[in-house]
Amino acid sequence: MAQIFPKSMNVLARMSILAVPFLAAGGGAAGTAFYRSDYTTGAREVTEQPIPFSHKHHVAQLGIDCKYCHTSVEVSANAGFPPTKTCMNCHQQMWQSADLLDPLRKSYATGTPIAWNKIHNVPHYTYFNHSIHVGKGIGCYSCHGNIDEMNLVYQSKTLLMEWCLACHRQPELHLRPKDEIYNIKWKAEDVTNPDTGKPYDQLTLGKLLKEAHQVREATVLTNCSICHR
Amino acid sequence: MPPETTKAAAGEQYWQSIDQWMDSTQFETLMKNEFPEDAGEWLDPVSRRQFLTVMGASVALAGGGIGCNPSLKPAPAKKAVPYVKQPDQLLPGVPLFFATAYAQQSGVGLGLLVKQTEGRPIKVDGNPNHPGSLGSTDIYAQGSILSLYDPDRAKEAKLSGKSGGYDNFVTSIKSELEKQLGKQGDGVRFLTEPSTSPTFIALLDEFTKRFPKAKWVQYEPISRDNARKAIQAAFGAPANVVYKLDKAKVALSLDADFMVSGPGAVRSARDFMKNRKVRTVKEAIANGEGIPVESMNRLYAVETMLTSTGAVADHRLTLKPSQIPDFTKALAAKLGVAGVTAPALTGLAAQWLEPLSADLLAAKGAAVVLVGDQQPAAVHFLALAINEKLGAFGTTVTFTEPIETRPTDLNDLKVLTDDMKAGKVDLLFILGGNPAYDAPVDFDFAGALKGMKGTKVRLGVYEDETSFDGQCQWFLNASHYLETWGDVRAFDGTVSVQQPLIAPLYNGKSPLELLATLLSYGINDPLELVQATWKKFHDATVKGADFEAWWQKCLRDGVVPGTAMPAKTVAAVKPAGEVLADKAFAVPAAKPGLEVQFRADPTIYDGRYANTGWLQETPKPITKLTWDNAAIVSPATAEKLGVTNAFGWTGGENGRTIADLAKLTLDGRSIENIAVFILPGHADDAITLHLGYGRTHAGKVGTGAEKGAQGPGFNTYVLRSSAGLWNASGADLVKKSDTFHLACTQGQYLMESRKPARHATVAQFKADREFAQVPPASAAEYKELRELTPGTVEDFKRLGFKHPYEQHHDSAHGTEHAAHEPHDKRMVPLSLYPTNPSTVNGVEASKSYRRWGMAIDLGACIGCNVCVMACVSENNTPVVGKETVTKGRAMHWIRVDRYFSIPGDETQSDSLGAANTSDAYRAGQVKRSDSIRTHFQPIVCQQCEKAPCEVVCPVAATIHSADGLNDMVYNRCVGTRYCSNNCPYKVRRFNFIQYSDYSTESLKLLNNPEVSVRTRGVMEKCTYCVQRIRNAEMETEREFDKRKVAGKTDKFGRPKIMDGEIVTACQAACPTSAITFGDLNDDSSAVLRAKAEDHNYGLLAELNTMPRTSYLAAIRNPNPAMPKGA
Repeated sequence: MAQIFPKSMNVLARMSILAVPFLAAGGGAAGTAFYRSDYTTGAREVTEQPIPFSHKHHVAQLGIDCKYCHTSVEVSANAGFPPTKTCMNCHQQMWQSADLLDPLRKSYATGTPIAWNKIHNVPHYTYFNHSIHVGKGIGCYSCHGNIDEMNLVYQSKTLLMEWCLACHRQPELHLRPKDEIYNIKWKAEDVTNPDTGKPYDQLTLGKLLKEAHQVREATVLTNCSICHR
Repeated sequence: MPPETTKAAAGEQYWQSIDQWMDSTQFETLMKNEFPEDAGEWLDPVSRRQFLTVMGASVALAGGGIGCNPSLKPAPAKKAVPYVKQPDQLLPGVPLFFATAYAQQSGVGLGLLVKQTEGRPIKVDGNPNHPGSLGSTDIYAQGSILSLYDPDRAKEAKLSGKSGGYDNFVTSIKSELEKQLGKQGDGVRFLTEPSTSPTFIALLDEFTKRFPKAKWVQYEPISRDNARKAIQAAFGAPANVVYKLDKAKVALSLDADFMVSGPGAVRSARDFMKNRKVRTVKEAIANGEGIPVESMNRLYAVETMLTSTGAVADHRLTLKPSQIPDFTKALAAKLGVAGVTAPALTGLAAQWLEPLSADLLAAKGAAVVLVGDQQPAAVHFLALAINEKLGAFGTTVTFTEPIETRPTDLNDLKVLTDDMKAGKVDLLFILGGNPAYDAPVDFDFAGALKGMKGTKVRLGVYEDETSFDGQCQWFLNASHYLETWGDVRAFDGTVSVQQPLIAPLYNGKSPLELLATLLSYGINDPLELVQATWKKFHDATVKGADFEAWWQKCLRDGVVPGTAMPAKTVAAVKPAGEVLADKAFAVPAAKPGLEVQFRADPTIYDGRYANTGWLQETPKPITKLTWDNAAIVSPATAEKLGVTNAFGWTGGENGRTIADLAKLTLDGRSIENIAVFILPGHADDAITLHLGYGRTHAGKVGTGAEKGAQGPGFNTYVLRSSAGLWNASGADLVKKSDTFHLACTQGQYLMESRKPARHATVAQFKADREFAQVPPASAAEYKELRELTPGTVEDFKRLGFKHPYEQHHDSAHGTEHAAHEPHDKRMVPLSLYPTNPSTVNGVEASKSYRRWGMAIDLGACIGCNVCVMACVSENNTPVVGKETVTKGRAMHWIRVDRYFSIPGDETQSDSLGAANTSDAYRAGQVKRSDSIRTHFQPIVCQQCEKAPCEVVCPVAATIHSADGLNDMVYNRCVGTRYCSNNCPYKVRRFNFIQYSDYSTESLKLLNNPEVSVRTRGVMEKCTYCVQRIRNAEMETEREFDKRKVAGKTDKFGRPKIMDGEIVTACQAACPTSAITFGDLNDDSSAVLRAKAEDHNYGLLAELNTMPRTSYLAAIRNPNPAMPKGA
């Protein structure tokens, strides 16, 4: 009986054995990449909202401060969603008849709250607290990205635990002066180092701020019970 | 059989069960068992059904959740629903606290501070402004939050068992009342529980004004009629007794469990135990954290059933119920109360008289005699006479005007029942209570109710025995106290306004609303009704000031200023001869046979909390029974009756006591089957029966899923007649061949014979303040061990102490400790377990960061279990059910261990002279009821610095935090249970199955959002209330700049969490402030002061685990003149 495979196939067979570890590694890499992908984490996924509220318009164009709507960000775990009343403070005067704001007016008239789709979801066993992050000098930008440029809000970071930990291990990469917390566009390079007369880099300034804001050490910030109870 | 038994640890001192004391082979085997058997099954029939449902749901979730959602997202998309208009003061995520109050016995209120998150009340604590609470609570207050969300609560108004509609009720009843107008309300009766509510009483007064012949009857099964009767007889006028126990030097309790039960008990516990917390650190004494040993008070207890009060007493005498009046008479005569003929006493009681009376007299002006509510009026009267003789009036015993407007009288209920039978009642309103279940059996109230022709209206939280299946034509669902407005008086008369924490969940009505509606009062809103009452008070007393501001302050403070009852000067106590000659004060002679006493159950009270799972599962302070009551007898009586308590394959008192069933007959009535529980320390020839069990219509927890079945326990009300309301004699108990399983938690989680609870007498303490540093069973060295209980040499120096380690090596100290030389210094650093690897700024974290620690004063623990309840409420601990408890799987993170010990024959000291370990000797010893000493020891996670649990976890699910907490990470846990195996303190609890209720809607509202609700397969344990620590930490850290300016920085320059800013749930609830918590690296912390005491010791410290929790050994103050061995 004739051989099915010619002898030259032996090389291919040997090659394919060699390929196994590469394939396995590739599979692993693909798996982890998939796990971290936007598809899985939900990052950069735009979600429809009952009212297509635009942060770009309200923040970048009108210059409304974050805290006008997210009132409890400095004192509570929750930044706070604005009640209908907050919207109506302005929209009683402006765009009173816009069709887009129909759900808003209806909510105000009937007393039924608006059910927004929540974009940034952390698991229930993770106790995130806005007030401590803001209090220690972490700006909105660090987690929410360029929210001032978003029409509909999307999640700009993965919100994976490794992402949380990266900052808890090295907070200096994200710290900023306390009066720049709500300034989405702030960069360390905008600040001049009085010693050198040159702009700061984030690491140098971050280290100074870590000291000044008494940000705890990584050995404390990475304790399990800091976030999980 | 192992070569060495527990007995071999010469003179085993502490034991939890008779089996352990007797050291049976079976017990031996059980102790070696890591977990009781049946670890993988759930035998509870009701729960199993529920379990299958949950399993079904989890399969559905696995399929639907992961299968259909390929995105593997860590959290499902949620909705964010903001307010339309956000209420003032409310910030999402920040809890609010509201002052309110609740009422229990005799309608007396306890002030509370209730935590509310996002509109739902989730935790009850005491109100520090309230005289009855001072910040602490009792177990019932803690449990009341669960009853609010109880899914079995009645949800609608019913007419003859069918949906009736409240409006229809109003129309129909109003027309009936019209008809009564002509008869001046002759056929109208109100039956309520006693109330101290000024608004309620005002409304009833209004009603009786309109219907002058209508009658108001008050009834409660646990009444204070006898005490009231005695006061009336003694002074010729009613009065309210307010004890000032902080002034008492010597106290005698005559069957009074005054620190745990009765109005004002929380305050009494605080006041009395304050003077039993021995301290030597001057700062601690100056801060009121304790007293020098010389100022310690002394407590004598005379009782039948072993109670918490008896357990902490310095001397305890057990007497049958019938002997207590005689003892009191003899004591009165001895103390010179005129007109009392002293009966002859026998035995130990006779030996007690001389030294006891001498001690009481020596403390003249600072002595007090307290009497239990269940004692006959004669005893109450004699106690008044004795207190007068002892100069207690005006010092330890003060009087005020009575707090109840109308005293209760059992006879009123008798008259009402007769009227009902005679057809004289056209319209009966039963507001609250549950008389068909708990009225004296000879009244046959249930029968009278069934046979009554007129209209019956019931307002109740549950459709219980009094109103099930349309027994009362109209059933109205009542609102919970956390849902409505009201007012209530404290034990001293101080009024608290009850404010609602949530709108009525099921549109229930309060009695105030109901009465106002019936009266067509104009206002029906309970808020306006209560406000109207206090507007009048305000206008009369405060005058001119702004009412609204005053009202808001009253609500905020939780007390209405100026409402404490004015002090009353009482006349001299009437001559005893005159009063005792009255027939009403006669004490019936005991009939031959066993004596029986009835008492409120320590956890479910008179039965009203039968459906509160938390309270059912909380072990009763002394018996440690859960989910059941039993006929409690002494070992000697059990032997006489031939009943035994065996322990089976899941471990006798090791979770499951196999008790003999018996038939109990009293006055021709009988309970066919009742389990008999043998309790050392109970009086011989007497049976204690706790009321409140065997409910037939309590709900799914208190009765079971089947309607009308008998719930857990045995209904003892069927033996309780009006003649023998508290005590009865001539009972007969006949053993049956059947047995019954009781779920008794004591014996679970044993730590073998390693002297866990340590104690000494005042004399021993004075001789050696380091008495608690006893040689442990497994290590030859002991002085060094204190090095292992945190607290540095510098800390000790600053507090004026030598650190034990240092002291020990001080050659000048010399001879005293010479016996323990030579020292193997290698012992100290040697440990099987690694040091916390955390470093902060490059230094070991325990030396450079916050260092949380706890000290528990065993001398102040009264074993009341409030800490357990508070922990359950704070930490979302599930209820597991009786069958599961018998397997040692109750999920409580804190448990109060109860140990017994027996002092030697000839010695009064608290060390055991029992060199004789023969079985016969031991069997004899256990019968010496008067000699049994009881010790309580609350056990939480010890938060070891070198934690044995951490090293064995294969997935690092339990690891140390920098501040020394032994963090438990639920999401990492894979359920190997290795940590639990390796925990010497047995504080870890495993979710063998899905215990937490994820499915009942109303119970979801109950959970503390700050704590994860654990799922099946996960280990859990005490966290030192890490959520409270982290929240306080974040609050402190985020205002680091402000704290710096205010000088609030710690010695490392960090913003300082001030001592007392973090209060754990157990600490907050503890009536006696036995628990101290704080930062051991804070020089000024109370916990460091406590730990510096010489009698502070670490539990099993010889294992070198360096426990952060430590104990202050109990110190007792026996009278050297008392008979030996008592």
